[in-house]
Amino acid sequence: MSQPPSLLSNMMRIAGWIGLSVLLVAIFLSDFLAHAPAGAIMSGAELNPPSPAHPFGTDVLGRDILSETLHGLAQTGRHAIWAAAVAIVMGGLFGAVATRLPRPLALLLRGLFRVLSAIPALLLTVVLVGLFGHNFVALAAGLAAAPLGFIRAFDHVDLRAPHTEYARATGIPGLTLLKRDLTYDFRHILGSVIARALAAVTIILSTASFLGFGAQPPARDLGLIIAAAKASYLSAWWTAFFPGLALVFFVLCARLAAGLEEGERA
Amino acid sequence: MKRFLARQVAHLVVGLCGAAVVAIALSAIGDQRPHNLPAYLIAVTDRITHLSKGDLGHSAISGTPVLDELVQHMPPTLTLLACGAGLALAVGLPLGLLFAFGAIRRIAAPFMQIATATPLFCAGLAFAYGAVQLLHWPVSVNMRVGLAVPPDQALRLAALPIATVGLAGAAAVQLALRRAAARSSGEAFRTGLKRLGLSGMEIEFLYVMPQIIAGLLASAGEIALALVSAAVVAEWVFNRQGAADLFVQSVALADWNMTAVILFAFACLTIVTGFFGRIAGYLLAREEMA
Repeated sequence: MSQPPSLLSNMMRIAGWIGLSVLLVAIFLSDFLAHAPAGAIMSGAELNPPSPAHPFGTDVLGRDILSETLHGLAQTGRHAIWAAAVAIVMGGLFGAVATRLPRPLALLLRGLFRVLSAIPALLLTVVLVGLFGHNFVALAAGLAAAPLGFIRAFDHVDLRAPHTEYARATGIPGLTLLKRDLTYDFRHILGSVIARALAAVTIILSTASFLGFGAQPPARDLGLIIAAAKASYLSAWWTAFFPGLALVFFVLCARLAAGLEEGERA
Repeated sequence: MKRFLARQVAHLVVGLCGAAVVAIALSAIGDQRPHNLPAYLIAVTDRITHLSKGDLGHSAISGTPVLDELVQHMPPTLTLLACGAGLALAVGLPLGLLFAFGAIRRIAAPFMQIATATPLFCAGLAFAYGAVQLLHWPVSVNMRVGLAVPPDQALRLAALPIATVGLAGAAAVQLALRRAAARSSGEAFRTGLKRLGLSGMEIEFLYVMPQIIAGLLASAGEIALALVSAAVVAEWVFNRQGAADLFVQSVALADWNMTAVILFAFACLTIVTGFFGRIAGYLLAREEMA
């Protein structure tokens, strides 16, 4: 399992990062790239199939799906970036710091996060959004994704590593050692950690939104767009297909960039 | 063995107690008292007192005891989970073995990556679309399933949620299997057994296979987690009236008593499954599987 990455997996990672870069550009230029502003309704153009005028077709209210997908992607992407930041800080970073706390406190924290990791992250997100409101969906998704990152980081740190023993013996302060470990250990895996967190929170955010616990109209993210298309997509496939495709592409790029195995939980 | 068992029992007890604390803290939020810390702590104490008497409280929506609602809604979800787990094993086991030992993994990898990157609600909607367009099956995506459904139609209506949950579980099963196979492939005993004169097939079946199955069993908690997550989404997509669907409705309508009990039930399910899986894995392999 700990073999050096093959040429193919390196290429996959690069492809993932290129895809994420393209999506990042689309997210920040969504207002410029979209044909119509978010939620703009064209009367008489309801449920039009894909055509040169509307490459992705129109939805049941006559909204251009290409524009809606771009706006939805921007909404999902912005929330995902915040949620990923929360997941990294409260998960990986806090896990690495918690290992150095006094042993009973460290084990107590690990126990708490272990319990939270036994609850599906989606359910935790739904509960947190229910408690604190829809404006906190990014924070909720980040916090819900954090327990798994915490456990991984906690278990990854080796407190009996030679350099740690040496530091202890020579009286180097714990904070200096922590700074050294975060700099050296996280430097190589930071990109992978970011991409992994992005993949995890994007799925959580979009699913929570699909269940009605994410973006609130008039703001619509990809999950909400697909939820709205549920009523019409059996006869008008394009209403759900293109937003769904954008979502899958986003998650796929993040997974590839993170170097995750097929089927591996992000 | 005794030390391993003691550790696992301790993990189980800590896990269940932790889940209970989370559930009590959540259910106390639904209390009608003013929202400040002292009132909240009194509400928590009240909940613990009621729980010690076996009273789980009442649903804020229906007014019926939470336990009655749970007993009514849990069986469909458990059936969905059990059928999904069966499908997950039926699909995930051969896939995992195929990918672990064959070169086919390299060919299938891109498809598997796309399948894994697909959020479950998208997969569920895609299944429903395929069933309607290709098989002309009835689907419950845009309607509630009534009780008076003919058996053949009920079977078709149930097939799609089961497929959705099953495939989510299959991804977890094949990964657990593949990891266990990769771990055992590096074991030093293979060379030793070959020198003793055992054939490759004998080594695989007598020594490697138990290790792989033990690895799979040790990941039972992880697989259960994937199945529970999938059940929530599948019940919502296909309008099934189970505990997972009730959970979403309870949170939306701020029925924290009901939410807390369902959350606790799901947490217990994954914690207990993980516990028995690790014990079974240990008994099979005679060593702790990571």
